[in-house]
Amino acid sequence: MAESFDPKILYVMCGWCGTGGAETASAYGMYYPENVRIFRVNCTGALSTVHMLRPLLEGADGLVISGCHPGDCHYDDGNFMARRKVALVKTILDSLGLDSDRLWFRYVAHGEARRFVDTAAEFTDHIKSKGPNPLATRSDT
Amino acid sequence: MTEKKSTVLIYGTNLGGYRAAYALCKKGYKTIQLNRGSYVDEYQNQALTQLPFDFGWICGHMPQRLFKGLGCLTDHYNAELLEVSGKAGNFRVKFKKKDQVVNNFACIECGRCVEVCPVTVGDRKAMWVNPKVGWENIYLVDWENCTRCGKCEEVCPTGALKLDRPEETLEADVGAIILAPEFEGPDASDLSLFAYGRSPSVILNSETARRSLLTNFTEDSVRLPSGKLPESFAVVVTPHFNKPGVEYENYNLSVTAVDRAIRIRTTLPSSKVTVFLKDYRGFGKNHYRWYQRALELGVNVVRTDKLSVHPESGEKATVKYGSDGGAVGVELVILVTGQKSPSQMKRLSEVCGVKPDSRGFCHIRRHSSVETDVDGILAVGEFSGPKGNPETIWEGCASLTEAIKYLGKPEFTPPAPPPLTSRKGEEIKVGVFICSCFDTFRDKMDLELLRTRTQELYNVDHAEIVRGCCTPPTMKETAERIKASGVNRVVLAACTPLQKLLKYRNTMMMAGLNPLLAEFVRLREDVIYTHHERDKMLEKGLSVIRAGVARVRLGFEAPTPKDKFLSETLVIGGGLAGLSCATELAANGFKVTLVERRETLGGNLAYLEGDQREYVDSLIEKAQASSLITVFTKSTVENMTGYAGNFDVGIETPRGRVAVGAGVIMIATGAGEYETTGFLRGADPRVVTQAELPSRMEKSQGLKHVVMIQCVGSRNQEHRYCSRVCCNQALAHAVELRKKGSEVTVLYRDMTAYGEDNLYEKAVELGVQFVRFPDDDYPRVKAGDGRLQVTVNDAGREKTLNADLVALSTGIVPDMRTNEAISRVLGYPIDADGFFDSDANGYPYEEAIKRLTKPFELASNCIFPVGLAHSPRSFDETLLTCRDMVGRALVLLGKGAFMPPNSMYVAEVKEDFCVGCGLCVDVCPYSARVIDPIKRVAVVRPFLCDSCGSCVAICPNDASSLRDFTGKQSIAVLDATLA
Repeated sequence: MAESFDPKILYVMCGWCGTGGAETASAYGMYYPENVRIFRVNCTGALSTVHMLRPLLEGADGLVISGCHPGDCHYDDGNFMARRKVALVKTILDSLGLDSDRLWFRYVAHGEARRFVDTAAEFTDHIKSKGPNPLATRSDT
Repeated sequence: MTEKKSTVLIYGTNLGGYRAAYALCKKGYKTIQLNRGSYVDEYQNQALTQLPFDFGWICGHMPQRLFKGLGCLTDHYNAELLEVSGKAGNFRVKFKKKDQVVNNFACIECGRCVEVCPVTVGDRKAMWVNPKVGWENIYLVDWENCTRCGKCEEVCPTGALKLDRPEETLEADVGAIILAPEFEGPDASDLSLFAYGRSPSVILNSETARRSLLTNFTEDSVRLPSGKLPESFAVVVTPHFNKPGVEYENYNLSVTAVDRAIRIRTTLPSSKVTVFLKDYRGFGKNHYRWYQRALELGVNVVRTDKLSVHPESGEKATVKYGSDGGAVGVELVILVTGQKSPSQMKRLSEVCGVKPDSRGFCHIRRHSSVETDVDGILAVGEFSGPKGNPETIWEGCASLTEAIKYLGKPEFTPPAPPPLTSRKGEEIKVGVFICSCFDTFRDKMDLELLRTRTQELYNVDHAEIVRGCCTPPTMKETAERIKASGVNRVVLAACTPLQKLLKYRNTMMMAGLNPLLAEFVRLREDVIYTHHERDKMLEKGLSVIRAGVARVRLGFEAPTPKDKFLSETLVIGGGLAGLSCATELAANGFKVTLVERRETLGGNLAYLEGDQREYVDSLIEKAQASSLITVFTKSTVENMTGYAGNFDVGIETPRGRVAVGAGVIMIATGAGEYETTGFLRGADPRVVTQAELPSRMEKSQGLKHVVMIQCVGSRNQEHRYCSRVCCNQALAHAVELRKKGSEVTVLYRDMTAYGEDNLYEKAVELGVQFVRFPDDDYPRVKAGDGRLQVTVNDAGREKTLNADLVALSTGIVPDMRTNEAISRVLGYPIDADGFFDSDANGYPYEEAIKRLTKPFELASNCIFPVGLAHSPRSFDETLLTCRDMVGRALVLLGKGAFMPPNSMYVAEVKEDFCVGCGLCVDVCPYSARVIDPIKRVAVVRPFLCDSCGSCVAICPNDASSLRDFTGKQSIAVLDATLA
């Protein structure tokens, strides 16, 4: 893979713990790659499969989702709903011929700034090693 | 009589104090909080020290953010209470205070003061941010090294920093005082037995937690100074082995030890973990299951009486335990420490007359939850004794219930929002306002370039840079700029709405704009503070703004819905808990319907001891005398319709069906005693329960040897929880018998003795024998010749005891039939043990603390389980749960109507598209939705909706939408983010 490949990554996070992690990172001045774009929803439970499939079909190279830890969801079980949907979307991605490993789900708590930036960096490296999303280069999508 | 004052003074910042501040402010009482420290976390509270989680969880739930901004809460730093005069309802207090050097509320966290500071101390400056403080960035001055050059003061763009703050003495008139001093842990000299400070291999559990602050528990949390990862661990509960009187324990410790072991085992599966304790004293809700989980994970639990830690050369230590020379070499010893009695006690008793108990904690009146010996002065949290984290929080709410009788009318109402002008029908004009954060953003990014590129974006009509938007003058300035620009949609690119949402919304409203037509994007968090490549920052900044523009273009304004909230309460169960709730609520002028299944009120009268009976009788009298309490005996709750705040309940009474309305429902159905036919119970009159024992003690003097069997019907496969009260009860009886001259042997598994009375130590002193039997091998009772024979497995050896009387410590069991029926009628869940679930929902800790602190009383749908219906507890602990829940209810009752917690950001249904499939009703975590039986469409109950958006995701027709997060909006935002 070319050195210059700069993946386009979408980091989807809930408005409570996920966002909190990102904000704690900012308070401590922690760095994560600039190509990680952030999309916020109030709760990961509010994500539908569309929100997970669309970015990948529209040319994002990877998608990572963060919600509260089990037992810690502000809305009780929104993080579990998201987890189930992620499992579902992974099977859809496989059947589309897209690598299901382009979608990650990782719990991040409000205070876990290090975990958030590590996830962002780790996922970026992971996608870099995978190469561009094959759909991104097609003209008919 | 002079008029009662309505302000409350809270001294100290423990979690109970914060919770009290929250409840009082919410009820409308102005609150003054004194912090001894120079910043929010200088003196720590118990929950942070005996940490249930390894990640930050509390700051988002602190009362300061909301109520300080609204003007209801005033907090003072470096404060000390000097004088208290007057009496309950009308205290005059004198206190001194010195403002923070950096006013945390006005600081914008730009970091310029740190940059210019010329003094370097190690790896930091004399002006620095303590990374261990879990609150927002707090800038601290290292006074020892500060040269007072004043450079930091010069560069501070908001004037939040002033090096010389005068000390001031203030006076205030308050109706009640709540004492909430902070937690004090043992220091190194108290832990010398455990080689703390003498070996790199011995650390405190709170240190591992601090190391986990930004990552949660990982390998790094337990790494040795050399960088090596230890393979063998010992987790020691220190108060079990320390000298008496040095540190006190509560149930947090046993659970924390086991939890730490579980975390180590799951993070480092090949590690060997041994937990050393005397008894597993996790007696709260769900704690026993947590212990079982540790055993399942292969954690070795060693119970011993004596223990010491000896440092070895290198990063090693030996734990010596027991009297037969047991020793284990480990690489890391984690000490789970208790708490010391508060050093503040002496001074506070001089200042305001409160009295200490025998252990040096603040004395609380009998059968009161938080009242000290002085009328109108309450004490909460770790100040009044060692207690679990949930109890600390409950006391916070309970202090509203108990303080309210000393207070006048609530005086605080939040200021009315500025009037809005409707922008319906206007052509959409989007303005992007980029905050320069007092020009500090310009240090890191070319804002002018960002503005020009923003202006060039499709769909953007206006773009400009504003100076700031979070201090009163800049808010006004920005509002005027918005007005002047003539736009009707605003994207404000600033910093996190998590802290400043109310200010941003206010800015919009000052510009006459409904906040639904504005979007606040995080330029600081998402771009400026976390990135450094300028080109890419510009790209990302533009994508953040584009996303905001996409959202506001599809935004629409709508009024904030409101819904009525009934002020009546239904209490199910007329025992201690039910009566307590009903009388407390009636005392505050609220109507209560009390439903009791039996013919008479009072509940489990047979188990009451001493003056408890009198207390219950007085409650019955009060309930019957009160014109506000309607009592239905021999009645049951048959059906319930409606929802939180507007329940419609059908009660089956001997005179037919009665319908009552209620805003809040309290479940106080109590529990029963475990009944067994094992241990010859029922077959031999010499086998009695602990409840029957007192009458037997009186009758027969000739009891030579009494054997007690603990954990009958508790902590076994059938009932996987601790019944909490039996150990203390058995010990009290054992002490009494011993004083009368009988031999007593207690067969036990873990003595979960707690409380001020030190019954366990007393019993040991008096010569009560204790034999521990294994978890799965209960003692057997046989009727021998004349005496009873009890066979017990004593550490692998069979031992037979001759007894004149066997007392079974039978546990508390829920009445499954009743609980299931009520659970069905109310739609309120019961937990795996058959008790009513509270906010815990399956998390192994007793009610994950974050949920406890969660300010939304509505989150449990206004159904509150209290007393034994919630979990096993003692008489006074039952009263605490009642006062806690009454406190929560008082915040809600009497207001008449409520808006959604997020005001206008509420879910909606487009009735034309809705097919009434009910999917949204199932996913709604707060039961905020229902299918209208006539129209067959989903309906939203406004104040229950906390805007999570699950209903939007699940709706197959896009009929469901969240204002500000409609299906269309989210896709547009997604596309714009990636574009």
